[in-house]
Amino acid sequence: MAAAAAAAARGVPTRSEVLSLFRSLLRTARQFSDYNIREYTKRRTIDGFRLNRTLSDPDSITSAFSDGKAQLEVAKRQSIIYSLYAPKVKSIMDLKS
Amino acid sequence: MAAKFLASSSSTLRKTLTEKLNAKYHFLRCLSSSSSAAAAAELYPATDTYEDTNGITMKGVRISGRPLYLDMQATSPVDPRVLDAMLPFYLSRYGNPHSRTHLYGWESENAVETARSQVAALIGASPKEIVFTSGATESNNISVKGVLHFYKDKKRHVITTQTEHKCVLDSCRHLQQEGFDVTYLPVGTDGIIDLEMLRSAIRPDTGLVSVMAVNNEIGVIQPLEEIGKICKEFNVPFHTDAAQALGKIPVDVDKWNVSLMSLSGHKIYGPKGVGALYMRRRPRIRVEPQMNGGGQERGIRSGTVPTPLVVGMGAACELAMKEMEYDDKRISALQERLLNGMKERLDGVVVNGSVERRYAGNLNLSFAYVEGESLLMGLKEVAVSSGSACTSASLEPSYVLRALGVDEDMAHTSIRFGIGRFSTEAEIDRAVQLTVEQVEKLREMSPLYEMVKEGINIKDIQWAQH
Repeated sequence: MAAAAAAAARGVPTRSEVLSLFRSLLRTARQFSDYNIREYTKRRTIDGFRLNRTLSDPDSITSAFSDGKAQLEVAKRQSIIYSLYAPKVKSIMDLKS
Repeated sequence: MAAKFLASSSSTLRKTLTEKLNAKYHFLRCLSSSSSAAAAAELYPATDTYEDTNGITMKGVRISGRPLYLDMQATSPVDPRVLDAMLPFYLSRYGNPHSRTHLYGWESENAVETARSQVAALIGASPKEIVFTSGATESNNISVKGVLHFYKDKKRHVITTQTEHKCVLDSCRHLQQEGFDVTYLPVGTDGIIDLEMLRSAIRPDTGLVSVMAVNNEIGVIQPLEEIGKICKEFNVPFHTDAAQALGKIPVDVDKWNVSLMSLSGHKIYGPKGVGALYMRRRPRIRVEPQMNGGGQERGIRSGTVPTPLVVGMGAACELAMKEMEYDDKRISALQERLLNGMKERLDGVVVNGSVERRYAGNLNLSFAYVEGESLLMGLKEVAVSSGSACTSASLEPSYVLRALGVDEDMAHTSIRFGIGRFSTEAEIDRAVQLTVEQVEKLREMSPLYEMVKEGINIKDIQWAQH
């Protein structure tokens, strides 16, 4: 509750907060052991931020930011789960041909 | 400090030693397995799977890495966001959604109802019209057999198509044995049904028209809106199997005027073992249940609703709604890349089914003068199939391709490339490269291909009978 009020008072996330979220998502994406999920998370992060680059309405910026934060939490949890059950054999896409 | 150093160095030493021992053991194992592999495989067929960091051996095939996956019509990987929604219901929230007396039941029930709304939202229905089942096969069975059994006094006839999924065709076969009439509509060379033929096939006692939305083998999209209009005109219930359409093309139950629709979870990056059936409430369609019991899902599908699976399906539907546009753009681009890549480097590549009216994630190609099974055998690093997973065990050419009138030799060489949300450009390029290499290799030793190159028309050859 207090956090929500503070966020409302602060208003829209700053440029550095957005960039930090972007970098955290990319960092977490790289930690996925699965080739396809790793590539997708990277690609989706970049495309998502690119798509929302032109947002100007404070409400939509705030909601996109909180959505991104929720996605980061999901990615963090899932990258751990994927690493716990990673197959011994890598994808042929991860092997040098 | 010194003691610490000693301890750490001794542990490294131990590690090196164990590694060496392991390597030696592995070497010995390789030796022994290569000499007696054949005998062992015969005696213990289940133990021929061997996996280590250098590769995997299974069914006598050795692959250095896990194959790239291009078989999205068979099943799709679970999206990590879907798994994230499901896991809580495999851990502390294990309640039975039908338990009415405690928190465990209530929270599960809430989760199931949320999932129901998520599924309904994706198809433009009301949550009350969604029944959870074990998958699209069960939904198809309930639809086809359930409707005809319920209205059996007045309705004795079903119309379907020759290219339906096996479970619809088999349910129809079952009805025929019970004395119902079934019309199997033929399709054109593009895989699409003739609307006039459908119109003329409808009889006063027709109880159901069942036409699938997107074909699982060739990806062709049927003109559902038009079929829905014809069914409305004659007041015949319309069922569609939308397992391959959900989340991939826009699905709207009112636009299509469907009375029943089968949906599947594992084709849309959700879990296996769950599906849904849409049943229209106005005008109401009724079915005879296949399973009797506790009366769950309004008595249409008794049995405890599997909360984690249903939650997964709901999450997958919500994601599909958000991601459809993004995914579609990407998948279309990847399909183009795949097709252009093949056509640039190979001649005699034919797309099976309509090119315009198809879902981009399904590309069914035939490679002339090449035998399909040999091609698949040579493509061990690409997970593709020759048709549907259900029929890939037999060497018979696909009945769907035969219904399209594809020549026997071309039907034998078909490969279905299924592109999905997680497919990458690099995978497509690798698949093209491997396929082209394999096709060229097979054609090099094919006398047929040589003759064609010399300008002989194979169809004119009089083969000697033996």
